[in-house]
Amino acid sequence: MINFLFLLTLLIYLAASIFQTLSLALGNRTEAMAIRLTIESLAFWGTLVGFAFLTLFIPLWWLQQGHFPMTHWTDSIAFFAWAVTLIYLIIVRLTHLRTLGSFVMPVAFIAILISYSFATHTAALPEPLRNYWLLAHTTLIFLAYAAFIAAFGFGLMYLMTERKIRKKTDTLLDNLLPSLGISDELGYRCTILGVILLTMGVIVGSLWTQYIQDVPWRWLDVKVISTLMTWLIYVVQIGLRQFWGWHGRKAAYAAIIGFVAVLCTYAGVEIFLDSMHTYR
Amino acid sequence: MHPIVSIGTSHHIAPIEFREKLAFSEAQLTEAVQHLRETYQVQEAVILSTCNRVEVYAVANSMRSNDAAAKMLVEFLSRYHRISPESLKKWTYLHHNLASIRHLFRVAASLDAMVVGESQILGQVKAAYDASREAGGARTILNRLFTKAFSVGKRIRSETTIATGAVSISYAAVELAKKIFNTLEGKTVAIVGAGEMSELTAKHLVSNGVSNVIVANRTYERAVKVAEKFNGTPLAYDSNLDFLIDADIVISSTNAPDYLIKRQPLADIMRKRRHRYMFLIDIAVPRDIEPDVNKIDHAFLYNIDDLEAVVASNLKGRQQEATRAEQIVTEEAKRFYDQLQIFQVNPTIKALHQQFREIADTELQACCDKASLTDQQAAAVTSMTQAIIKKLLHDPMKNLRYAVNDGNADHAQYVQALQELFALDVKDEEPKS
Repeated sequence: MINFLFLLTLLIYLAASIFQTLSLALGNRTEAMAIRLTIESLAFWGTLVGFAFLTLFIPLWWLQQGHFPMTHWTDSIAFFAWAVTLIYLIIVRLTHLRTLGSFVMPVAFIAILISYSFATHTAALPEPLRNYWLLAHTTLIFLAYAAFIAAFGFGLMYLMTERKIRKKTDTLLDNLLPSLGISDELGYRCTILGVILLTMGVIVGSLWTQYIQDVPWRWLDVKVISTLMTWLIYVVQIGLRQFWGWHGRKAAYAAIIGFVAVLCTYAGVEIFLDSMHTYR
Repeated sequence: MHPIVSIGTSHHIAPIEFREKLAFSEAQLTEAVQHLRETYQVQEAVILSTCNRVEVYAVANSMRSNDAAAKMLVEFLSRYHRISPESLKKWTYLHHNLASIRHLFRVAASLDAMVVGESQILGQVKAAYDASREAGGARTILNRLFTKAFSVGKRIRSETTIATGAVSISYAAVELAKKIFNTLEGKTVAIVGAGEMSELTAKHLVSNGVSNVIVANRTYERAVKVAEKFNGTPLAYDSNLDFLIDADIVISSTNAPDYLIKRQPLADIMRKRRHRYMFLIDIAVPRDIEPDVNKIDHAFLYNIDDLEAVVASNLKGRQQEATRAEQIVTEEAKRFYDQLQIFQVNPTIKALHQQFREIADTELQACCDKASLTDQQAAAVTSMTQAIIKKLLHDPMKNLRYAVNDGNADHAQYVQALQELFALDVKDEEPKS
């Protein structure tokens, strides 16, 4: 039953991603006027329903496993998709800008697809790890990742708009992309939000290991190092923007580099390297 | 049936010399509507008079034929404006019923406008309708007709892109600026050189939120003159372009034979303004701004051809959309016409039912009094009478409605026959809001 529901969620995310992308592709183009509004609302409602379903899985898995569902990496990647959608919906609520969905929903869909394809077993969580410190630590970090994904989306939107303006293309004004200034500004805010969340997540994690668990701090842990690298990439980006006026195109590229760093930290370490953070 | 007739002229068929003769000033409007109603016995009238068109919509008495009604309007215009009927015939169009309705819908939807999709016309039609209503011109039928025309106009604006996209160079510049800056509030525009086009563009930018205007000219006096219009800062430039450091939008239209703004100096200026976005509009021929400026990070250059391409593509889009809008107009006009006819038949149907019921009630009362029926018997007789009325009227009413829905012209005669044969007292219904 749970499996079937999860498959359904996966399909809803697929549909939402397709409709989101389609609505961006159609833009304000006159020929597509009649179906455009339908596609846009399908995309948005698909996202909402998909998110509602995904939200349902957190208590479901929790009950099924007897502890919060973030132990096996397939659960964690579904949780990542959940965080990405949540941040997206918050941005829509605040800015009424749905276009970002065309970039973040496919990311969420791929995450769920991976989760669905590999979810073969669920490992029990060792007793010492069953506490709310770990829950807070992982939640904060996933929300930070989600904010970085949103910044990445805004970066891509910025580059697409800039290209259109520069090349004077036909679809220059017939698109749903926001202005350069808006993409840039919102991307920056997402970056700041991400850095704050990531910092908090890291602090919670290290306090927990040092004072509660009484485990010596392992600086050489791969995950720790790559997380710090990611953090540094974003902090340097903020600094350059504040003090050297690095905004616009450079900021957009930085958001993409940051995205790659997040992927490496999250997935790369998971797959290729061994760390005390590895999910089992 | 009351015929709806309209007569009018527009920029499509008549030159300005004729349109101005036919125009009604605001002061004339009330008086003309009243005159039309009193002298020509028109039941309802609305006069629309703008710089591009003059149109009279009228509902004639039901006894008149379409042609008689049309003749009456021609006579009115020719006497009122002292124009010969021949030239009226040459420069005006006449529509009846469905064609009138369709024409008004097209006008309100801005399909008949000089620039298809321009938004002014809907407001003008509204103003004309309001003025004529106050003068007592618009009543039952024209109230319905114009209310519907506004909703059709709105529907077309929301369901098609006929009214979107800039169709002039200056608006195209504003739309482009909106694709670059997050807001135009607090931004600064610099006008370099002078010219009508650059002033117009600056004006549109200011009305969209741009707050500071710098006017730079080789001669300070000229700069002052233009700057006064915008409450802006005048300045005389020579070769020093440092004033561009503060400019977010630059509109250049000088007579300089060579490039005024070149890549390298502008790159320096961009550095000094910390690479904030700069939108440069070069409407000078020969050009003022070196094309390579478009390669500088965060500086975007558009020349007159680029802007014209934007306008051309928007116009093309509007043309495509117009076809779809025409379909909507045709559908809506047909539906409205059908409804209007049913609406006009309804009072007759109601009156007929009323009369039958009254006769039955009187007779029933007499019968009950005479025969001293029990309650049960009285109820049986009452329901039988009602059934008889219903069955008697069923077929005639059905056929009448069919005739209306089929667009059968006979139904007007049916209605008139019914009214006369049964001596019905039919009052026009007031429209439901």
